[in-house]
Amino acid sequence: MRLKLRAKILSAAAALLAIAMTAPAVSDEASDSLAAPESFAAIADTAARSAALFTEAGKVLTHPRCVNCHPAGDRPRQGDVRRLHQPPVARGEDGFGLPAMRCPICHQAANFEPAGVPSNPGWHLAPHEMGWEGKTLAQICEQIKDPARNGGRSLEDIVHHAGEDHLVGWAWAPGGNRRPAPGTQAQAGALLDAWVKTGAVCPN
Amino acid sequence: MTTLNVTINGRTYGPTEVRDELTMNDYLREYLGLTGTKFGCGAAQCLSCAVIVDNPDGTSYTGPTCIVPAASFNGKSIRTVEGHAKNGELSVLQKAFIAHFAFQCGYCTAGFLNESQVLLERLAKKRVPRAALEKTIAEALDGHLCRCTGYIKYHEAVRDVILADPQRYLV
Repeated sequence: MRLKLRAKILSAAAALLAIAMTAPAVSDEASDSLAAPESFAAIADTAARSAALFTEAGKVLTHPRCVNCHPAGDRPRQGDVRRLHQPPVARGEDGFGLPAMRCPICHQAANFEPAGVPSNPGWHLAPHEMGWEGKTLAQICEQIKDPARNGGRSLEDIVHHAGEDHLVGWAWAPGGNRRPAPGTQAQAGALLDAWVKTGAVCPN
Repeated sequence: MTTLNVTINGRTYGPTEVRDELTMNDYLREYLGLTGTKFGCGAAQCLSCAVIVDNPDGTSYTGPTCIVPAASFNGKSIRTVEGHAKNGELSVLQKAFIAHFAFQCGYCTAGFLNESQVLLERLAKKRVPRAALEKTIAEALDGHLCRCTGYIKYHEAVRDVILADPQRYLV
């Protein structure tokens, strides 16, 4: 009996070791941190390095703090489980909600923790063509590079938007019990900057 | 603490020192005794707590008071359910609500009334075709919850007020 138990434990440990040994250096698993652009220097192939940089930045782009306001439909999402926004609100013509339910009415200048309301000046949804929900990282990458689907931005604008925009920056200081986006806004901007400078190659 | 000055139904209140975490709903109900504005879900989902906020440019909108700080209303002008009747006479909307038996318990009524009033004022500035009226009313009242399920009667009451003065509200 004891031998059987020991064999099972050893077998499980071996399986875990195998998983750990085969895990990629850049993981797409949820993480609280971001790797620095310099840590990708060992990837000799520039295109592969560029794609790897975007994959790392993708931890931010696919995080609920970002995707919840880049929905596929006309309703934002809430929380880490990405439930539909309550109360029911819709995008409206300008992304700031319908006439009777505008985003800034509740989402004001700063978080209001007694009621659990996240806030930032300019709180609104990303345009419909910039929806990321349900897309692969490769699809998001191609979308981000396309001015028709990125708000007419250049790649340099994208770096600035991710790395310095005040509303985007809320994702790293969301307050309450909300899980912040990985790393820091500056690190995310640096990763995308390095991605652009290496050719802005998208991952497969 | 923040100093709050706010105009409510044409009357100025303040300056009052309020805690930053005080909600507007508590300010109205507990500080001023204006209990016509209800506290329902506490999460801006039922909108029984909604009041009218008047912008300096003449436009207005409704907003919940249960999840927003009182301090954020500093310098603003708002209207609550207590401000609809003039000189003891109910407004046209209030009369229509009664005529249609639109409410039962009445807990949601203040929110519906404020929302409907803003809709009327919006339509008076930008009229809509008759064909778009049902959708316009439905969208305006959409966020308000009524546990007595008086939705249809509220809708019909608002529609009657608009159809009673089509040149003002309809193209």
